Amino acid sequence: MIAGICRRSWNARKGRDKYVIELTNVNKTYGGTLKAVDNLSLVIPDGEIFGFLGPNGAGKTTTIKLIAGILNADSGSIRINGKDIRKDALEAKKQIGFVPDTPNIFLRLKGIEYLNFMADMYDVSTDERKERIESLSRRFGMSDVLQDRIQSYSHGMRQKIIIIGVLLHNPSVWVLDEPMTGLDPRSSFLLKEMMREHADSGNTVFFSTHVLDVAEKVCDRVAIINKGQLLFCGTMEEMKDHFKKNTSLENMFLELTESEE
Amino acid sequence: MKNKTLLLARTLIKNGEGLGIRGSSTFTKVALILVFAILIPGLMTGISFLVANLLGILSHIGQEGVVLSWGIAIDSTIVFVFGIFYVISTFYFSSDVEMLLPLPLKPGQIMGAKFLVVTVYEYLTIAVFFLPVWITYGIYMGCGPLFYLYGLIVYLLMPVTPLAAASVIIMLVMRFTNLSRYKDTVKVLGGMIGVFIGVGVNVVMQNVMGTMSQEQIMELIQKGDNSLVVLTSGIFPTARWGAEAMIHYGEPSGLFSILLYVGFSVLIYLILLWLGQLIYLRGVMGLSETGSKRNKSNGLDLEKEVVKGSIIRTYTLVELKLLFRTPIYFINCVMINFLWPVFIILPLIFQPAEANMIHELSKILNKPGTEGMILAGSFAAALFLSATNGTASTSISREGQQLFVKKYLPVSYRQQLNAKILSGFILGFVSVLIMFLFAVFMFKLPLWLGLLILSAAWLPVLYTSLTGLLIDIYNPKLDWDSEQKAVKQNINVLYNMLAGIIPGALTVIAFSFSPGLPLTFAVLTGTYGLLCYFLGKLLYTKGVKRFIQLEA
Repeated sequence: MIAGICRRSWNARKGRDKYVIELTNVNKTYGGTLKAVDNLSLVIPDGEIFGFLGPNGAGKTTTIKLIAGILNADSGSIRINGKDIRKDALEAKKQIGFVPDTPNIFLRLKGIEYLNFMADMYDVSTDERKERIESLSRRFGMSDVLQDRIQSYSHGMRQKIIIIGVLLHNPSVWVLDEPMTGLDPRSSFLLKEMMREHADSGNTVFFSTHVLDVAEKVCDRVAIINKGQLLFCGTMEEMKDHFKKNTSLENMFLELTESEE
Repeated sequence: MKNKTLLLARTLIKNGEGLGIRGSSTFTKVALILVFAILIPGLMTGISFLVANLLGILSHIGQEGVVLSWGIAIDSTIVFVFGIFYVISTFYFSSDVEMLLPLPLKPGQIMGAKFLVVTVYEYLTIAVFFLPVWITYGIYMGCGPLFYLYGLIVYLLMPVTPLAAASVIIMLVMRFTNLSRYKDTVKVLGGMIGVFIGVGVNVVMQNVMGTMSQEQIMELIQKGDNSLVVLTSGIFPTARWGAEAMIHYGEPSGLFSILLYVGFSVLIYLILLWLGQLIYLRGVMGLSETGSKRNKSNGLDLEKEVVKGSIIRTYTLVELKLLFRTPIYFINCVMINFLWPVFIILPLIFQPAEANMIHELSKILNKPGTEGMILAGSFAAALFLSATNGTASTSISREGQQLFVKKYLPVSYRQQLNAKILSGFILGFVSVLIMFLFAVFMFKLPLWLGLLILSAAWLPVLYTSLTGLLIDIYNPKLDWDSEQKAVKQNINVLYNMLAGIIPGALTVIAFSFSPGLPLTFAVLTGTYGLLCYFLGKLLYTKGVKRFIQLEA
């Protein structure tokens, strides 16, 4: 029924049928008892920024890790541009640029070594990576620190080097887990701008956040998840319709998550 | 102050994971308990028999006390050498240090608590050796209860003096080489200095013994009445007092010795606390900082630095870079290759007597007809050396909570495992190369034989890399908060040692009857070639499946 809402709202808005990210009846349980994702179905078309909202421990990161191929779903299927994340794992993963919620990875590598590593893993040609490293690091103000170890970076700089790293292969699908955390206002603005550009050129951005302001300003559509279950999926307007008009999103959000208590 | 120190020590011990079996599978726990239930009592029984034999001989000449004094001296040395490593990792590299610094504790209290933690670890280390010596001596000599009481006191205070010596050395090194910009380098250098000091002490100890002439020793022996005990005083004074207290437990001199022993140990501990208060904090602060150049002129040459490479090459290089740049990995996975040669070469420089021995040994080795045995021996040595290297057997564990990164990369798990095998193989092969140099230059073996060894001995390295990775992928230790837990407190390293040492021993036994070089070469390369083939198959099927299942 929830999936029904999700599909209907989108179909009404656009009327196309190319799904970039498709989750069908996905389940994930930890340790046999804790149901982190409960029969989740979602479809996200191209050209859209999709916000994934929910309180702490709602199952956002688990869902994102399932989409990125980090976790294996107990049942259900996940397709990225039609490629199944388990059966056609490598092809599916190549479509994705994934930013994890912790930027503390490869700390003992220099920035440039990390970027080269990622580019090699994603099979990016020398010329292409040169051009992209140059432009992205300039845009994020990281050009001068690429020779330093990531260990010496601040939280926000680590976040930025990871974002640069996953964008080197020019993925059509961006999957970002809490990407704004730790970014300074300028970088945060820049990232939002880039997300918009990316979606407007026919690609897809899927990101989780618990900052409702961000969701309200950036997202074309949002989904709200709590205790592994999809509570709502639709545009902001639909969400406002769904609840009483002129209620702030925060109130809606609280209402949504509390009704489950 | 004492209370806070004790409280902190208790918390630190509880927080530690010991051997890290908590959270492992039942199979791992059972296997581990079996290993310890068989190996350690076995070892202790062996030592007991040895001690009983020695006592039988020594009691004839009235020198039975030597068993105790040497037992204590050897234990003190073990404490010292292990202490160097324990102290570096517990005092300085431990991740809890940053958490403790903001607490309202005096530096002396933090250091004192950490000292106690290491002392507890040392109890476990020395128990294996000291308990059989103590108990066997007591039973053999029919000692009274006071002997056991003194023994307990000696045991409980035994780590204090040598560990204090190790702590002071490391604290001074850390205090005066604290270049926070080169944190990792400092850590590695600290570790290396620690090792060299360990070796140095070993050499000095041997020299102390060596400088006494035969006549002097004979004279001491003839004196009887445990006069040889004096010899051990050259190492740690407490070792002698401890031994004398236990030997003369029934006499006033025994009481005097035990009081001296306790008094000295307490004094040393107090001096250490005072020193810790002075220099510990300075060494620790800044360790958590990392400097960066942030230097534009040092800027990036994109033409040179940004070049496409193959997945396997880049992945392997990154593995190696992390091994070289993470101090605790460097010490355990890279430096260990060079430890054995250092332990052999250094005494040679200081002790001409051993050089003679090498000379004699090389004569024996160069006799015609021994080539087969030499090949088998080198094969076994390669098995042993590469099995003691933890690179492959911690290659999944080292990923820790960041294993997820390897999951979203569009690189097949088979390829990732290949790169991990390759990095383990490269580091393991270094020890074979060193062995080759030793064979040709030290033992003067013919070059062709050395090359033959080289052409065969890569197989045991591949074998232990495969077993190591398989063991680690089935039982990875991913839930760690400091890197040392991934390699030092990882039971997989021990499992892989067994996987290498057992076939190594079998190889030596099988070829001890000297079947000739061609047969030895054919059988060994054939057997291990096949073994590697099947292990590789296993890794590509079951291992890959297991990798897919792993979720950090």
